[in-house]
Amino acid sequence: MSKPEFVYVTYIETTPEKLWQALTEGDFTEQYWFAHRATSDWNVGSSYHFTLEGEKRLEGKVLISDPPRKLAYTWNGCSEEVRRERTSRVTFDLEPRGKAVKLTMTHDNLDEAGVTFRGIADGWPMVLASLKSFLETGRPLSDDVRTIQAVAA
Amino acid sequence: MSKPEFIYVTYIETTPEKLWHALTDGDFTQRYWFGARLRSDWKAGSSFEMVRSDGTVSDAGKVVEVDPPRRLAYTFINQSDKYKNEFPALATFVLEPYGKLVKLTLTHEGFAEGSKFYSGISKGWPAILSSLKSILETGQPLDIPFEALKMEA
Repeated sequence: MSKPEFVYVTYIETTPEKLWQALTEGDFTEQYWFAHRATSDWNVGSSYHFTLEGEKRLEGKVLISDPPRKLAYTWNGCSEEVRRERTSRVTFDLEPRGKAVKLTMTHDNLDEAGVTFRGIADGWPMVLASLKSFLETGRPLSDDVRTIQAVAA
Repeated sequence: MSKPEFIYVTYIETTPEKLWHALTDGDFTQRYWFGARLRSDWKAGSSFEMVRSDGTVSDAGKVVEVDPPRRLAYTFINQSDKYKNEFPALATFVLEPYGKLVKLTLTHEGFAEGSKFYSGISKGWPAILSSLKSILETGQPLDIPFEALKMEA
């Protein structure tokens, strides 16, 4: 039986370059990715991490970096609950479609018994909806989305 | 192998009433649903159609559940010969308000294994729902050429 994966497709009115920047630069991720700040040079083999208020929450290694088309990295959550889970993988494919970009996010190699697997079906739509709003309106989704996160946890 | 089911969640800065209107008013759907006017009196048991700009019907089915502005469900199948051996599948929209946001969950289910129509809707829904989010948040739908969805592939 193949390991479970979660795939999410969204279309955003932006350019591949702006979308790539939003996915990889801490000044941007901090605004829509629930205050998580990304840090990396995003070269293949380099490490990356996301911090929240200075504390590391997510880390891994860059597997594929082909700006502005494809980005992939390993995913290791840092919290107590998820640290022992299998390292999973996230891949972003960015494809121009008219004035929009089709963004496909694939999260695979997941531990199906784990907390991560259960959480991402709620988490990714929130992050990617906030990213879309941020790029299209200049504002991420309102803080109300954090309340949903707290309720869902 | 289990029957395929398509689930899509997004978060939109809007009200449940505006979102309900966007999902059920033909003049409005025409602006973001790749030109389709959704036509129905929206009573359980009534017919449901998607009408092209030339007046022909592309998809048809029945309204199953109407609970504004919380739940809307209808069945439909594309009228093309390609799908003549398939049956209408059930699309259910659940609208949940969270402060300034509405969480929209679309579940499309009841497809037979190997359904070609399932493959088509899996490509269509992310584009339609992305365009819906854009029009509600920015006033403009997405400008994606229909061919770019590669639904024939």
